[in-house]
Amino acid sequence: MPDHRATIVGLATPPGRSALAVVRLSGDGVRGVLGKLGVEPAVFTRPGSARLVRLVDPEDGSVLDHGVVVYNAGPSSYTGEDVAEVSVHGGLIGPGLVVEACLRAGAREAEPGEFTRRRWAAGKMDALQVEGLSVLLDAESRGARKLALGRLEGGLSRRIQALRGILLDVEALLAHHLDFPDEDEPPTPAGAIGDRLDEVAQALAELRATAPVARRLQEGAIVVLAGRPNAGKSSLFNAWLGEERVLVSPEPGTTRDAVEVGAFVGDVPVRLFDTAGLRDEAGALEAAGIEMAERWLKSADAVIWLHRAEWGPPGKEEIEAMLLRVSRGNPGCLVLPVMSCADAHGQEGGVAGLGSGAREWRAWRPVAGEDWVALSVREGRGLHGVLNRLGALLGVGGGAPGGVWSEGTMLVREDEVRRVRGAEEAVDRAATLLREGLGAELAACEVREAGEALSGLIGEIAPEEVLDRLFSRFCIGK
Amino acid sequence: MWGSVDVVVVGGGHAGVEAAAASARLGCRTLLVTPDLERVGQMSCNPAIGGVGKGIVVREIDALGGVMARATDASNVHFRMLNASKGPAVWGPRAQTDRALYRLAVREILEELPALQLFQGEVQGICREADGVSGVILRGGIEVGCGAVVVTTGTFLRGRIHRGLGEGFAGGREGEAATIALADALEGLGLRLGRFKTGTPPRLDGRTVDFGRLEEQRGEMPGYRFSDWGGKEPPGSKSCWITWTDEELHNLVSRELKKSSLYGGALAGVGPRYCPSIEDKIVKFPGASRHKLYLEPEGLRTDEVYVNGISTSLPSEVQVAMVRSIRGLEEARISRFGYAIEYDYADPRQLRPSLEVRGLRGLYLAGQINGTTGYEEAAGQGIVAGINAGLAVQGRQSWVPGRGDAYLGVMVDDLVNRGVEEPYRLFTSRAEHRLLLRQDNAPERLGVVAQGLGLLPRAAEEVFRSRVETRQRWLGWASAEKLPVDVARRISGGLGAVKGGQTADGLLQRPGARFDVFVEEGLRLMPALADHLDPGALRALEVDLRYAGYREREERAAGRWRDAAAVRIPVRLDWRALVGLSAEAVEKFADRQPETLEEAARIPGVRVADIELLERLLKRGVHAKAREGSDEGLEG
Repeated sequence: MPDHRATIVGLATPPGRSALAVVRLSGDGVRGVLGKLGVEPAVFTRPGSARLVRLVDPEDGSVLDHGVVVYNAGPSSYTGEDVAEVSVHGGLIGPGLVVEACLRAGAREAEPGEFTRRRWAAGKMDALQVEGLSVLLDAESRGARKLALGRLEGGLSRRIQALRGILLDVEALLAHHLDFPDEDEPPTPAGAIGDRLDEVAQALAELRATAPVARRLQEGAIVVLAGRPNAGKSSLFNAWLGEERVLVSPEPGTTRDAVEVGAFVGDVPVRLFDTAGLRDEAGALEAAGIEMAERWLKSADAVIWLHRAEWGPPGKEEIEAMLLRVSRGNPGCLVLPVMSCADAHGQEGGVAGLGSGAREWRAWRPVAGEDWVALSVREGRGLHGVLNRLGALLGVGGGAPGGVWSEGTMLVREDEVRRVRGAEEAVDRAATLLREGLGAELAACEVREAGEALSGLIGEIAPEEVLDRLFSRFCIGK
Repeated sequence: MWGSVDVVVVGGGHAGVEAAAASARLGCRTLLVTPDLERVGQMSCNPAIGGVGKGIVVREIDALGGVMARATDASNVHFRMLNASKGPAVWGPRAQTDRALYRLAVREILEELPALQLFQGEVQGICREADGVSGVILRGGIEVGCGAVVVTTGTFLRGRIHRGLGEGFAGGREGEAATIALADALEGLGLRLGRFKTGTPPRLDGRTVDFGRLEEQRGEMPGYRFSDWGGKEPPGSKSCWITWTDEELHNLVSRELKKSSLYGGALAGVGPRYCPSIEDKIVKFPGASRHKLYLEPEGLRTDEVYVNGISTSLPSEVQVAMVRSIRGLEEARISRFGYAIEYDYADPRQLRPSLEVRGLRGLYLAGQINGTTGYEEAAGQGIVAGINAGLAVQGRQSWVPGRGDAYLGVMVDDLVNRGVEEPYRLFTSRAEHRLLLRQDNAPERLGVVAQGLGLLPRAAEEVFRSRVETRQRWLGWASAEKLPVDVARRISGGLGAVKGGQTADGLLQRPGARFDVFVEEGLRLMPALADHLDPGALRALEVDLRYAGYREREERAAGRWRDAAAVRIPVRLDWRALVGLSAEAVEKFADRQPETLEEAARIPGVRVADIELLERLLKRGVHAKAREGSDEGLEG
């Protein structure tokens, strides 16, 4: 088992060919270890400045490498301990030799994540920020990176702290009710306390709604192209990717497989699926493809449903069958209707460009609130509109719920969502109790439970904080 | 003179009284030493006992066989149940008491105890022996050997009284000498002392008050008793009177502020925010146009009244002008001036939860010396310290109530683990288990343990036994018998749909459910219940059943803490050898040396992750690991 006070060393950059590599050390023994590698004590006298050094083998004194040392003394360092970052020449062998020399000079190899653990242990970041760092290191899209940076900046912590602040206020008001019945100032009416709680419940609901968006940012949204055979799914697929990735032909049922590629909508990574057209009269092979398409429909975040302009508006039955296919087992799925091959009629503006036919299409708007987007791959029009609308649907770009996206204050993990939901439910119960006049002591119980659920995310509240608020607001005591 | 006793209690205020009584009830030969035997049980400030939270403590003291509840009943002249319009969990019984009758009642109760000796004198020194204490030295050099000492010096320890500017004068209460030598002795033993202050308002000759211009507040519920087993008829009744300060007084205080001890710079100690002086109220809440004042009777056989709400350290002549500016008090004469008092307290983080000083076996501190304020808080600590001093002398394990058991547990835990930044007072908001810790169920919570410890006189044992039986019989019926639909409907109060085949206990959770009908139907369906009708037990049962849903949640949480309290941490554990704990936690644990996982979790600023890790390590047998890494033997 590792000793958490030992001086640790680790390679901060990935192994392999590169111009530079960074070896990082942390602990009380940093100066000692580097001293054995020939670094002059003078290097440590000016923390934060970069110094060119010659690194030698601690035993035989042979030269290992030349490097640049940046030293920071604890506690004002990343880990709160003495920290040194040594930039050495990159490559497959050299950096490893330097690390190995540090080990011989008395350091221990860092466990994965140990530098960050020490930073956390020194009280320099809270649990949410640690989580943010791990998201940052794993980030595979710009969106995920923004989310992670937001967390590191403490955006989510601040947002939760603000909500907890309101709950503290409410607890203080309830304490005024319960602990000081004899006072000059009448207690705040229960209804007014209930209103503050509604505010919190609303904010918690919004916070909870960020979870699916955050998941899409991290893992990528699953977007499935669907529609009848020959609806133009593969054409859209190729146009989106800007290459002839899948075969396109006028023959219906050309695509029989589900083909997946990675793509982006704005900053959101997308797993885009081209699927077999959905029809009932298909051969065995095609039928297997249709089955696979339906499977992907069930796990999709969004479905782009294509329907050719020249087919005219789809009938009610077809729309219902489509919605049934999508929503069965996947009720939260978003559906974007696209009028494809709108070569003759279509305009960027959607059905509006259809002139007299517009009303007919509109009458058959398949998804509430979602208008048809016109697309003509052949004329190179409409792709931008499809992607914009999709971005809005996925909750990024302009269409972020409550604008929270820009702050990077989103919930990432399942247990975070669970705690927020727990808090929300308790707050709702408290508001109901107060409104029905069923007892401030029970409401206080619920409010405390909500506070504890949020505390699980960022740290503990002491009852003293409630009393501090109480005494700063009310003149209490005889 | 008397050679040695088991326990010496220093001080005869509310803490000292309870400590001495508890120790004597355990059968320990106990000596209570106080400078003035006429003032045993003296109420230094307002003539009232109880209130929200505090009243529950009085009931807990009674369940432990203590003094305060009985003395309050014997001197109660005006009772109110505070918060009666709210849920029963936050009901706060409070009595105005006759100051003199209270003292007499205390003296009488103490004299029931054959093992207790009262002695007028002053303890000036404490004898140290190895890692503990072995006796006290009285004024005149008399040495008394003992197994334990409980120090309850209240506001006397280096007490200094202030009124207006200047040095003030030494005193523990006005007209009584401060305790100086003992303060030196405690520091000599290595205790860290700090300085707090508090204050008291002027008192008036009631014959000069125009009561016709004041609002009268009468007492209520004359049948209420604080004590379940030793309560007496109230000796009589008297009203309180309400009036208000106004702009004139506010302007006067603002103008003369510089002459107040507090604002003129004569006083440095920290005072309580929830018991502010009139100076504080006016400086900190300039927006308030008036403040409510209560005129409280000092007793049945005197006209003197206590003006609750204008505690002050302004000079005498300002106090006179101040009083005369108040409606109804225009002609009033002051009988005693208000003053501020500064005194030494010992940082309570130097104590174990048993209230024994860490590293000084046998020395206990209780009451205001631990940085608290309030008679009830003092008495509550007194009984805990007295019980533990007695148990220690008898070689028995200490007893500490948990936060889920009693307000006493909340208070002791707050004190020893969180410490105090201002004089500490109990609020129901401090308790995590507000719905469990009620005035109606103190015997259910503490009676059995009190009996086990041997604290209860026979009268109390009998009362509590009958309560337990009543509760068990009724719970047995209410949770077992499936009710016909019409009975269920009647109990539920007729609101909402009711099915047959339900048991009675669940029905009471419904709003509008009728407990009187519940009792009626119980007696009809199971006539044997008629032998078990203890009203207190039925009341507690009713509240428990009504709160059942919430209570279960609280009980689960309380249970988690109890589990954590059962996980013992080895003594002399090498915290630095525990892998993975944050440096901050290691430092705090090493400093506080928690004895159980619960205590570790209560240390402010320790993070959940550290506690979870510690729990895993403890359960995985940190004992063995730590033993390898250390030369010293480990217990636990």
